Amino acid sequence: MSGGAHVLLVEDDPAVRRGLAANLAAHGYVVSEAEDVAGAVRHWDTMRPDVILLDLGLPDADGSTVIRRVRREATTPILILSARGDETDKVAALDAGADDYVTKPFGLAELRSRVAAVLRRAAGPSADPSGTIRHGPLTIDVTRRIATVGDEVLELTPREYELLRTMLAQPGRVLTKGRLLRAVWGTAYADEGHYLHVYVSRLRRKLAAADPDGVIRDLIIAEPGVGYRIAERPAG
Amino acid sequence: MNLRHVREEFRRPTGRRLAISLAVVAGAMVAATAVVAVLESASVGLADASPVYFVAIVLVGSLLGTWPAIATALAAFVVYDLLFTQPRFTLVVDDPREWLDLVVFLVIAVVVGRLAALGTERAAEASRRAAESTDLFAISRILATAPDVEEAAPVVLRRLVEAGELERAWIVRDRPGTGGPRTIADTDGGSPVPNASIVVSLVRAPGEVPAHWVRAHEPGHDPGRRRGRPLVRVRMEADGVAIGALKATLAGDRREPDRTTTRLLSLAADQLALAIRRDDLRREATEAEIARRADALKSALLDAVSHDLRTPLASIRAAAGSLTDPEIAVDADAARTAASAIDAEADRLDRLVREVLDLSRIEGGSLRATLEPLVLADAVGAVVDRLRGALGERPIRLEVPHDLPPVRADAVLLDAILSNVVDNVARHAPAPAALTIAAAATPDGRVSLTVDDGGPGLSDAARGRLFTKFGAVGGSTATSRPGLGLGLAIVRGMAEAMGGTAIADRSPLGGLRIELSLPAAAPAPEEAFARPTGSAAARSR
Repeated sequence: MSGGAHVLLVEDDPAVRRGLAANLAAHGYVVSEAEDVAGAVRHWDTMRPDVILLDLGLPDADGSTVIRRVRREATTPILILSARGDETDKVAALDAGADDYVTKPFGLAELRSRVAAVLRRAAGPSADPSGTIRHGPLTIDVTRRIATVGDEVLELTPREYELLRTMLAQPGRVLTKGRLLRAVWGTAYADEGHYLHVYVSRLRRKLAAADPDGVIRDLIIAEPGVGYRIAERPAG
Repeated sequence: MNLRHVREEFRRPTGRRLAISLAVVAGAMVAATAVVAVLESASVGLADASPVYFVAIVLVGSLLGTWPAIATALAAFVVYDLLFTQPRFTLVVDDPREWLDLVVFLVIAVVVGRLAALGTERAAEASRRAAESTDLFAISRILATAPDVEEAAPVVLRRLVEAGELERAWIVRDRPGTGGPRTIADTDGGSPVPNASIVVSLVRAPGEVPAHWVRAHEPGHDPGRRRGRPLVRVRMEADGVAIGALKATLAGDRREPDRTTTRLLSLAADQLALAIRRDDLRREATEAEIARRADALKSALLDAVSHDLRTPLASIRAAAGSLTDPEIAVDADAARTAASAIDAEADRLDRLVREVLDLSRIEGGSLRATLEPLVLADAVGAVVDRLRGALGERPIRLEVPHDLPPVRADAVLLDAILSNVVDNVARHAPAPAALTIAAAATPDGRVSLTVDDGGPGLSDAARGRLFTKFGAVGGSTATSRPGLGLGLAIVRGMAEAMGGTAIADRSPLGGLRIELSLPAAAPAPEEAFARPTGSAAARSR
């Protein structure tokens, strides 16, 4: 529980806003409320909150205006509150710099855990100074470009290695398809890039083969239509 | 038929016909006069052989008709008067009794000639009528048995061209409100419609006035250019509604159709007009019926949706009402129970709203699929993992090989389809009924996925309705129904949006089988293993 963190809640529906604000406050967050883009920007300028919960469909302007404005000045985590069926909007918001999304109607417990997660990630990168990324039994030695599960070395192709490294660099965060493609294939991903899902599938199978106990079975979570996410806390 | 043809040849008002008539009349006259001359000669000695002329008159009458017969009668009267009554070679008759004989002869000759001609003419008329009736019957039959006019009209027109003296016939349909006239059938389809400067239109007045042809110069044509065949036009009307026109060009160089062709054209135009009108009415009725059914479906959907929306709403209000009631002392446990009831009902509402939205997107055609190569095994695995709780304790077999070719599909739609189908199994084939999901590549470049359950299954009829709205449920007002039954209608709509299909069958496990077919994508390129670092290279050595 990240008690005391300052949450800016941007939501135009008063009932939803009041309910969320009351619940977050009860869980120790300091909550500011805004009902439109103008109010959100005003709060951002005067208060610099620790995390922003942003509804995309606001009365005065597109919510992504807020994302671009905030990203010019800071890396403050932004969590999108979006309606279902708006996968393209979600992807656009994530590509504009939002950190994560929850789909309405969401449960309050789920929302709180996402808020906690983006705040935790904002605290620091997961690679330690020695250049090693650890995630449960999975270790990536960035300098030697080697991935291991426990003691077993994964036989990865260069693309698969890059995919895994990019994903593991930001556990918990939704990585859009476009972001993964740019990170792994560069800008010239035209043809092979169509096969992102196939590459991820191969990577999954290799991870599963090296993980007979199923500890990291659900490591790579697909977000259909949006991209992928690395489970933050592998089971076990 | 042949004889009728010959007679019609004679009926035509041509110089040739006149010449032939004259020749026949003259021949008959010469022969009869010769016989009379022989009979009245001194050697035979008959006083009066004039009845021989009756034979000639009867022959001419039966062969050529009334007017040649009467002409022959008159000629016989004159010739007999000139040659065989005293004084000869003059029309003057001395003996008043002989004068009486001659007049009686003329009267009888005219009557005999007329009678002879009448019989033949009636026979000819009867055979013409018979042929006409045959043609009309054939046309009626074609129109009655063909599924619609568009199919029947070409056959009718061919028949008209054969029976009437036509070169080409076509039907032009008036299209009020939808642009210009349209040719719906043409015996010489493809070639441009003839451009005639003269149009002969059939004028048919109501009542006993016989139909007649009116010639007119087509406006816009050079009146000096009178060459080319006239165009024959018969307006088509039914129930006082203008339908269009039956048009034709005549064979030969006739100026207007003869009586037979006129009757044929006139009656065919009426029959065609009625058939076209009937088709129009039927089409309107079908459209009205489709609209009515769509309305019925919409109101059924509305009924079901409002019922299904109200039930969870009622639970939510009841729970919230007890929480807010100042008269009720709510302890923490009771409050939590009420809140989780609210949460569960809200979940139900969410699913319902999602289904209705999906369906309206499918039906509104706003469902856009973003197709990309997807690995079916991953998609199936994710859905089964997500719904494992709802599926409960049951044997689950996944036979979806990783080395199948990827499918070309939309990630969101594929996930929704699989969730719907598996959720359907969870709800309608309760645990411990088995669930098997298998996939295989098919030779036609597709991947087929089957979801089998060991549940109670469905009757053949129920399975046929499965993919329609409310297919999974009987009535739309059952109270213990777990869902609207929109799920599989959504599955099919989404599969089709991705170029796939979804069908239902009896499962070898005893329950229901849903079979999904999706186009396969080309296999992904394989990548070489290349280890850039020394230690990795050392390992792989």
